[in-house]
Amino acid sequence: PPLPAGWSAEKDYKVLSSLTSAVQRNIEPVGPHFLAHARRKRHNRTFSEDERI
Amino acid sequence: MSEETGAGERFAIGISFGNSSSSIAFTGPDGKAEVIANEEGDRQIPSILSYVDSEEFHGTQAKAQLVRNSKNTVGYFRDYLGKDFKSIDPTPAHQSAHPQQHESTVAFTIRDTDAETPSTVTVSEITTRHLRRLKQSASDFLGKTVNAAVITVPTNFSDAQREALVAAAKNADIEALQLIHEPVAALLAYDARPDAVVEDKLVVIADFGGIRSDVAVVASRGGMYSVLATVHDYELGGANLDQVVIDHFAKEFIKKHKVDPREDARGLAKLKLEGEATKKALSIGTNATLSIESLVNGIDYGSTINRTRYELLSGKIFSQFTGLVESAVKKAELDVLDIDEVILAGGTSHTPKIARLLQNVFPEKTKVLAPSTTPSAINPSELSARGAAYQASLIQEFDKEDIEQSLHPMVTVTPHLSKTIGVQLVSADENAEDAVFAPLVNAETALPARRVAQYTVPKEGGDVLVRISEGEREIKVTKPEPKPKAEKSEKDEEDSDSDSDFDSDEDEEEETREIIWKSTKTIAEAAIKGVKAGGKVEVTININPDLGLQITAREVGGKGGVRLAVEAPQASANGSA
Repeated sequence: PPLPAGWSAEKDYKVLSSLTSAVQRNIEPVGPHFLAHARRKRHNRTFSEDERI
Repeated sequence: MSEETGAGERFAIGISFGNSSSSIAFTGPDGKAEVIANEEGDRQIPSILSYVDSEEFHGTQAKAQLVRNSKNTVGYFRDYLGKDFKSIDPTPAHQSAHPQQHESTVAFTIRDTDAETPSTVTVSEITTRHLRRLKQSASDFLGKTVNAAVITVPTNFSDAQREALVAAAKNADIEALQLIHEPVAALLAYDARPDAVVEDKLVVIADFGGIRSDVAVVASRGGMYSVLATVHDYELGGANLDQVVIDHFAKEFIKKHKVDPREDARGLAKLKLEGEATKKALSIGTNATLSIESLVNGIDYGSTINRTRYELLSGKIFSQFTGLVESAVKKAELDVLDIDEVILAGGTSHTPKIARLLQNVFPEKTKVLAPSTTPSAINPSELSARGAAYQASLIQEFDKEDIEQSLHPMVTVTPHLSKTIGVQLVSADENAEDAVFAPLVNAETALPARRVAQYTVPKEGGDVLVRISEGEREIKVTKPEPKPKAEKSEKDEEDSDSDSDFDSDEDEEEETREIIWKSTKTIAEAAIKGVKAGGKVEVTININPDLGLQITAREVGGKGGVRLAVEAPQASANGSA
């Protein structure tokens, strides 16, 4: 999709709004991906930090 | 990654503990879950205990005792565990030892010793004995003492029931590492297969059991599962179908001999046992026989039934099963079009007709995973045991503390995206609103999350605008144009009382319905300049638990690209915890 004519922004991007608020739900504590998530959360790590270890 | 040197000597299996039957499974060194057969060769072990001359019978042997020794036989007790007498429904136990009030719990009066007077055994003790036998069977098979397990429970099992189950397991020297939900275990059994691909999908898990049925709608996002809705029916299950077979043969018997075998307790017990076997045979073959020696008044009885006849007689019950699935989808505020997969679990899911009816309910792209519709489907009876075994293999090395911490609400309660985030490929000449919206991060995704996707740009290349926005799916209904002669009014198959022809489901879908994505709110725009002809643009989105997000857009193979960050929204009253 080509850039519409006359579109411009600083550093080529603009932020227009933020996300709609989230809903709190329970995730099922099951499966390898959850266990990885739990590990990150317990150690307060982000994805990339987790990958480095 | 794996902690080889974990806690002491723990050897865990997966147990699915049902009202009607239970299964045990373990995960081999190759990571494949395997269901274990007990010494009688059964993989679905009836959850029944029976006592004859102080000897304990279990499983199929105990089930056979329902005919001659029903008073000392205990079955269908799982749902009584951890409940008080007033809140239970004693109907399923009608043909066996009756549940009764005992202090704050439920108990059975059975002769399980040589003593003159029968003893009162609580449901917890019965459960312990049952689990002990399961553990023994698994230990014998594996040649190693099993001392831990992951046990499956229904999603609506109360805390008291969970505690009672853990305690009963402890008395059987089984450390209940974790109780996991049956539908999630079934889903895990499929996702743990080596060839399975982790993808975002909405799954309906229909667990059709012996005396109850449960349906759950689960969002699977990046391999993590969130239950969106569940429905339960305590009066619907395989037993209803057994009844159809029983009634059919009983009527035939009455015509011939002028006696109703159902009025004789033993005759009914025999009919139940054989009727169930006949029903199971009808799931495999198109014809099944039933033969009972001395059914009533010393008359032997034998007859056959074919599948067509059986399906005709069971039509109403089949539509109750599909109705339950539809109500679960509705409860999750979804449409059948949203569902990507339907997993059929539980013994009753072997019935070919139920799977076929569900295929009619859902659109063609929805996969219905049942033996009769998908050749690669896993045996529905084994799903939850396999899922439990897989989970057991994942956590058996963990310290108890580690497991407890991971199950803590601080970990499991997580913000989920309420709207789908997608990328709009905006073109200059087109109206921006009409630009195609391609979902990238689906609603109900647990945060934090990260997704990457590539998009092709127009052939000529050049400058590209990437617009990230929130979107909603709408259902577009297109009525068929040409002469709708004798237009069928949308009829509810629930109350079509004419002996429900199955085609009603097909007639209903006269119009075509499809999903249309509509963007509702633009989050950010980014320009990527000078993309080569035929190039691709890669967009990466990172969403934090506080809803802040980072977006990177760059040309595939190109350098640089645009990086931007969106601030988290101002914490509102119900801000994320």
